[in-house]
Amino acid sequence: MQSFYIASDSFLHRLNPLSKVLATLPALLFVALTTEPWTPLTFIVLTVALILGLGRIPVGRFLRLAAPLLLLVLGFLLVYPLVVREELVRNSPLLFELGPLRVYQAGVIFGLATALRIYALLMLSLLFTLTTDASDFIRALVQQWRLPYKIGYGALAAFRFVPMLQSELGVIQAAHRVRGIADGKGLRGTWQQMQRYAVPLLATAIRRAERTALAMDGRAFGAFPERTYYRALRFHRRDYFFIGGFWLASALSVLVLWQMGLLGSLVLLQQV
Amino acid sequence: MANLIEITNLSVGYPGRKLPTLQDVSLSVTAGETVLLLGASGCGKSTLALTLNGLIPHSIGSITAGSVHVDSLDTQATAVAALAQRVGIVFQDPEAQFVTLTVEDELLFGLENLCLPPAQMDGRVETALAQVGMAAYRRHPVDRLSGGQKQRIALAALLALEPQLLLFDEPTANLDPVGTQDVFRLIAERKAQGQNTIILIEHKLDELIHLVDRVVVLGFQGAILADGPPRSVFRDDGPTLIDHGIWMPQVCLLAHQLRAQGLALDPFPVTLDEAEQVLRDVPGALATHGAPPPILQTDSEQVASPQAAPALEVRNLSFRYGAQQVLSDISLRVPQGDFLALVGANGAGKTTLAQHLVGILAAPPGTVWLHGQDLRRMRARDLAKQIGYVFQNPEHQFVTASVFEEVAYGLRVLGHAEASVTVQAEALLARFGLERYARANPFTLSHGEKRRLSVATMLAMGQQTLILDEPTFGQDQRNAEAIMALLRDLHSEGRTIIIITHDMALVAEHAAHVAVMNAGRLLFHGDTRVAFAQPELLRQAHLTPPPIAQLAARLAWQQPGWAGLCTIADATRRLVSLLDEEVSCSEPQIP
Repeated sequence: MQSFYIASDSFLHRLNPLSKVLATLPALLFVALTTEPWTPLTFIVLTVALILGLGRIPVGRFLRLAAPLLLLVLGFLLVYPLVVREELVRNSPLLFELGPLRVYQAGVIFGLATALRIYALLMLSLLFTLTTDASDFIRALVQQWRLPYKIGYGALAAFRFVPMLQSELGVIQAAHRVRGIADGKGLRGTWQQMQRYAVPLLATAIRRAERTALAMDGRAFGAFPERTYYRALRFHRRDYFFIGGFWLASALSVLVLWQMGLLGSLVLLQQV
Repeated sequence: MANLIEITNLSVGYPGRKLPTLQDVSLSVTAGETVLLLGASGCGKSTLALTLNGLIPHSIGSITAGSVHVDSLDTQATAVAALAQRVGIVFQDPEAQFVTLTVEDELLFGLENLCLPPAQMDGRVETALAQVGMAAYRRHPVDRLSGGQKQRIALAALLALEPQLLLFDEPTANLDPVGTQDVFRLIAERKAQGQNTIILIEHKLDELIHLVDRVVVLGFQGAILADGPPRSVFRDDGPTLIDHGIWMPQVCLLAHQLRAQGLALDPFPVTLDEAEQVLRDVPGALATHGAPPPILQTDSEQVASPQAAPALEVRNLSFRYGAQQVLSDISLRVPQGDFLALVGANGAGKTTLAQHLVGILAAPPGTVWLHGQDLRRMRARDLAKQIGYVFQNPEHQFVTASVFEEVAYGLRVLGHAEASVTVQAEALLARFGLERYARANPFTLSHGEKRRLSVATMLAMGQQTLILDEPTFGQDQRNAEAIMALLRDLHSEGRTIIIITHDMALVAEHAAHVAVMNAGRLLFHGDTRVAFAQPELLRQAHLTPPPIAQLAARLAWQQPGWAGLCTIADATRRLVSLLDEEVSCSEPQIP
């Protein structure tokens, strides 16, 4: 999570993290229900425009993140028409046939819609992750949404663990290779490998967690049921403006799509 | 005001351990004292530290008898919050102490926990940062600080809580020489400010000892073996300390060696300054007729025997990682049977170079040669047969669930028959003193045993060349010596040994040659003594010469016979031989 964050001082960065959650949540839920490609496509365009415009994320860095995700989606598009249940698409034109595989037009459209839906969800979450410092988010959760601070700061300390565990894993892999271990092939090899890595990795993690816990307790962590905060987080006018604006834009987009007959049915209402 | 710390008949245990870690310990410290706490590993130093800020018994462990009073407060009856404003502990791992991501947040963390009004926080943060000389780093991410800076911030985060007692628990253990210097300066600054009572747990003593008012030596279960001013402890209890495998200043070790040879220094020196003073007046002999310093060889090419293929050869190796040039055009020949030390500050490229030598990182064809073979053309298994690499943390290399299996593993990889695997593995375990633990899980061994096991596993395949990353890291004096004795044995059998280390005294004592790296370049490769005779070179590589070499350099101004000496053994031998000469011509002058 921390590694996606791109520090900057844009409008989106200055927003309270919670307002970004509140703003995008309805869109996230709605897009998750759609079955036609147009709605997710609209939200992808809207969100990317916001990320680049209001978030001032450099286009190059954004593409480097967003493009590989596109591959994932593409894979979905290719596989979906092949695995979709035939009775759902049998009424649409047959595109081509390859041995036992039959690809129908409806299957491709379903695939496209699902792929775009996933991509739209990813983009909506990127709007949050690219512009939000994880520790700010946790602080806001603790201060404004009453998340118990022991859990919040525990999570914050855990964030610091991720890069440590990554580099630790790298070292362990190298150390095992030096012992002449030829990495096993297939599932069984991978399983054995994971077992070998798990013990030293866990030993390190536990030891370090213990040290961190001592260092935290040594500075009076958990001494009182409440804490004070140097920076009080709250909603500013720009937060209300953003939430309202985003909701309005979402609603308008849906309305227009509906008017144009491009909304399609939603999964909850769909009768199969 | 009575004592700041009053520990009375204290016993401490941890759940799941049969024996108490501390047993009936009594100790008091007056306000303003600077106390050095010494003891072999496992003697309970860190446990004692944790009783002072109340983490024992409030967070871990339990006090089974006795009491601890800090500032007249009974720690068992006092909330951790109250103790946190009186006692601050800087731990050894700078990474593990941080909770948040920026310097400012880190300092605020404790203040917020204590529910200080936000209006008061600003001033506290500013003052604390100024006290550690890091005022300009307030908005810095902690990840981008150097090791020494991280410890400065760790201390600042404690100072913000305005504790009276500061405790440093091996604060330099994870740091390179630059960071270590930085932390020592920091402690000296605190001492000079005179506001704090300071307790130090540390074993790099020579550069610290002048700050210390009192030394307390702990033995098994915290039993107090010695307690007093540094001079009397190191002078009178020297043999006890050596017996228990406890570090002492190099200068004191030298003085004991000399005393054993019949030359008692008076006053007994503890710091470099004192040693310089007393040795200047001792055998005037070194001023005039010193034998020439040991043979100095400036070029490694001359050292290598011309016939045999070198154990390792690096030709024009460069390596980039992203935009960073980690290695620039390194060329290095390590003759067979050499004992080489690879030294330099963190980030100098030592580990990266070493990883190329064992194929962890793939070197371009023709750049790394092992016993005359291009590393790139060797199969991984053949490579593992010829060269071993012992990682800094032995645990990283353990791949099985028993000590025996660890050693047998390499032999099995080679396809040895089961009967011969058993015989060879048992022989190796016996050699390394591990046969008792054959069935134990490697993770349950002690620090020193884990290290020995990791060396044993690296020899199972009969490797002729061995690279060790910080072989004595975290070991007490006795374990460190045992490991180095082992390496010397392996070396005398004709094996090539390469160590990567920050410990210059270790280098001076054991390595024939040294390769000095800085910022990806090889600054020097040659005789160890030649390297230590070049202050400019060491400064450039951010290294400090070992204490005895510093002493020798200071004395050499007036007494040329000191030039080039850099180990205790060297200095003792030289002084004693000169003394003998003098005895033969005149009355001995032993002050």
